[in-house]
Amino acid sequence: MALDKFSLPNRIVSQGDVARVKRELHSLNDYLDQAQLRKTGSAMERLPKTSRGLDDFVTDNTLNLVNEQDRYAAISFFDELADKAPVVHVSFAVDPSANFIIKITGWFRENIDRLVLVNIGLEPTIAAGCTVRTDNHLYDFSLRSHFDKQRQLLISKIKGEPTKAP
Amino acid sequence: MTIWWLAVILVGVVSFGLGFIWLAVKLGGLSRYQKGGLNQVLDAADNDVEHIFDDEFREELRNRGRLHFEKIIGENAMFLQQDLRLTTSQLNEYMKQELTSKLREEFGKYEESITDAKQMAIDSIEKTKETIEEERQQLRQQLQVELQTEESRLIKRFEDNMADIVNHYVLAAIGQQIDLSDQLEYIISELEANKQAIAEDIKYGT
Repeated sequence: MALDKFSLPNRIVSQGDVARVKRELHSLNDYLDQAQLRKTGSAMERLPKTSRGLDDFVTDNTLNLVNEQDRYAAISFFDELADKAPVVHVSFAVDPSANFIIKITGWFRENIDRLVLVNIGLEPTIAAGCTVRTDNHLYDFSLRSHFDKQRQLLISKIKGEPTKAP
Repeated sequence: MTIWWLAVILVGVVSFGLGFIWLAVKLGGLSRYQKGGLNQVLDAADNDVEHIFDDEFREELRNRGRLHFEKIIGENAMFLQQDLRLTTSQLNEYMKQELTSKLREEFGKYEESITDAKQMAIDSIEKTKETIEEERQQLRQQLQVELQTEESRLIKRFEDNMADIVNHYVLAAIGQQIDLSDQLEYIISELEANKQAIAEDIKYGT
């Protein structure tokens, strides 16, 4: 099973990243296949660019993508990852930075599943915090949710009623 | 004095007058009757009588009788007048008393009727007043209930809306001001708190 062979770097976060890496791997594979078929003396096309995610993947797993076996193993891994990896959707009030996304993804992979894919979304109404949605549940860790839970406290404050000590 | 006493007095006076007239007629008739039977005696005596009871003497007697009759008539007239005055005064007094008592009685009835009508009017006004008061109380209670309901509804809506407004304001005011990196600790702590549930959810899809 290809999923057990490799680790997934935190820079490859979402299903979109996986699709992009797959596309890069296929492109690289095509390029190298073309290179093998190239006649001596003919002009070579430029090596396709690879993302930092793919670079990290290759580095972390000590692969040599020039090696056809490693290349196909990586393609197989990402194909299987795209089909079977668990996915969570995490939404924030503002667009998070790359480092922030990496930290959140790292937490998920350390604590939930080492191959989980995290789709990042934008939900300005939550103000702060985040919402985590799996296929079956929605976990609301937002400030909006916190305010809704403390609604009675706010109403009692508006009424001027004494509040119980927490 | 009643009307019966007045009638008795009048009957007495009339009877007395009739008796007097009857006596005068009787005396006149007797003298004529005696004249027929005793003509001869009388004729004989007439000559002497004519000497004794001459015209002058007869005239004197006639005058005396006339005077006596006039005197009696005058006295009776005076008595009659006195009786009439007395009767009139008594009648006046009686009429006055009767009229007064009747008027008093009628005025009493009239006053009683007015009092009854007044009492009825007062009772009617009191009932109307009580009815109006009851209606007013019911209306007041109903109005108070509706006012309290409306007040409660408005307060609840105000509180709910105010909570929403405050929430919205706070979210809008601070939502853009909190840096995500500052939230990382809070988010991680929340994820840690729900780690087990998320892991099971992903693993088993429950």
